[in-house]
Amino acid sequence: MALSKKEISILIEIVFSIVFAFIFLPYFYENQDNNLILMDDLIGKIIEILIFTVIYFSVAYSLLEFVFKKKETKDERDDMINSKSYKLGYLLYEFSLFIFIGYVCSKFQNKELLNLTGNQELYNGFNITDVGIVFLILMLLAFISIVKSLYQFYLYRTV
Amino acid sequence: MILKNILKEVRQKNGFTQEELGANVGVSRQTIISIERYRYKPTLELAMKISKKLNIKIEKLFYFED
Repeated sequence: MALSKKEISILIEIVFSIVFAFIFLPYFYENQDNNLILMDDLIGKIIEILIFTVIYFSVAYSLLEFVFKKKETKDERDDMINSKSYKLGYLLYEFSLFIFIGYVCSKFQNKELLNLTGNQELYNGFNITDVGIVFLILMLLAFISIVKSLYQFYLYRTV
Repeated sequence: MILKNILKEVRQKNGFTQEELGANVGVSRQTIISIERYRYKPTLELAMKISKKLNIKIEKLFYFED
């Protein structure tokens, strides 16, 4: 299966999203209910993610340019594929916004209900922490990015 | 109705490779492949560029099939 430069660059994005999900999301998942995590730690983690992203894409695209020296033409087919895949991405972003709002609202609602029961332990477990919100946003972004890129890759292979 | 074409036949008759024809009309080789396989419907502009390059009427190059 011979892949074009464009298809490989899409695969680079997919691999990034998967690697990102496996390396960084567990930290946010494990600490999502942790109220004691310091803002400095969170900022430190975000800086770590940014550095990883810059290094990953610099190395990956440098290698891609090294292997495929010839510049590829960007034409109307690319525009059509991009518009289709970005439309799907946009719809998923809108859908994820509803999920996000629904999650936050349900947490608040459940918290109020638990408050009535007087169970302090359960009540504390329903807190929305900064890390919890960051985890949800990053998880949704990684998911949308993977789906959008897979669809883009599929279109490049089939159209 | 399906939009079909005789691009492959005409291109070969004119002695162009997919890469060469693509370069001449400003698109990639993959786009020419997709058009030849009826997977991609080119815009009117591209269809006219291709027919001009291959010196054939656009309605002969592209046709509808029931």
